[in-house]
Amino acid sequence: MIRHFQYKKVCAGRDYLQEHYKDEFSLSKVAEHSCMSQYHFSRVFTSVFGESPNAFVARLRIEKAKQLLVTEGSSISEICTEVGYSSIGSFSSLFSEKVGMSPSQYRRQLSSLANEPHRFPMQSIPLCFAQNLFGFKANEPKK
Amino acid sequence: MIQGIAHVTVHVLDQDEALTFYTEKLGFEVGMDMTMDGGFRWLTVFAKAQPKLELVLAEPKEGPMFDKDSAEKIRDLVAAGAFGVGVFETDDCQKTYDELIAKGVEFTQPPTEQFYGIEALGKDNSGNWFSLTQQTV
Repeated sequence: MIRHFQYKKVCAGRDYLQEHYKDEFSLSKVAEHSCMSQYHFSRVFTSVFGESPNAFVARLRIEKAKQLLVTEGSSISEICTEVGYSSIGSFSSLFSEKVGMSPSQYRRQLSSLANEPHRFPMQSIPLCFAQNLFGFKANEPKK
Repeated sequence: MIQGIAHVTVHVLDQDEALTFYTEKLGFEVGMDMTMDGGFRWLTVFAKAQPKLELVLAEPKEGPMFDKDSAEKIRDLVAAGAFGVGVFETDDCQKTYDELIAKGVEFTQPPTEQFYGIEALGKDNSGNWFSLTQQTV
């Protein structure tokens, strides 16, 4: 069982990673920030959050990239750098692995569904909320 | 078979203020903060250790769900504390309570021993109540 102080420590590390996700990943830095050994930090972090610190950073980067692909007009390579990757090849293959399509396909697909540029289409959130909160009609043709 | 709950709606009076409260006071993380078609804001937060359950912070507004009168009534009920977010689990109710009190979170009941554990009752900055519970059985 994870104790309160350990939870607080890994939360501090998680906050640190969130702030520095664009930087080169360093387990030693984040462990030091949390006042834990690398091994212990990694083990407790994974046990509490269900993913390793490295996987957490990768997920943050991909989520940020997904957002930028829709809301910004920047090129894929600019977005790759923006979220902390130096190699577009690694970025694209990780993106494809996690999202199920390449960054450019993702951008194309969401842009084709949205009515306005740089906005998320209603199809990107659960339909019940899109309908009830925002009045979206599933079968309505794109305006 | 239903395997879990992914999204739960929490009506809030102001999305910006609710976002600050849930992230800076309660320590939640932002799940999604997206501007949708039509300028609508889709805003979700989640507890760090439970990323698959997102709270949808939604403002009751005139729209497909509510007419103007109903939206106002819902807002009044939220502010009056008629609705609850649910139970937030903690491994140490007193410690978490102390931390939240220090951050200015309002509580209506301090940690109190119950049959099932130790429970405190708090309110978010819209007026929704929540329970902070350390389960012992």
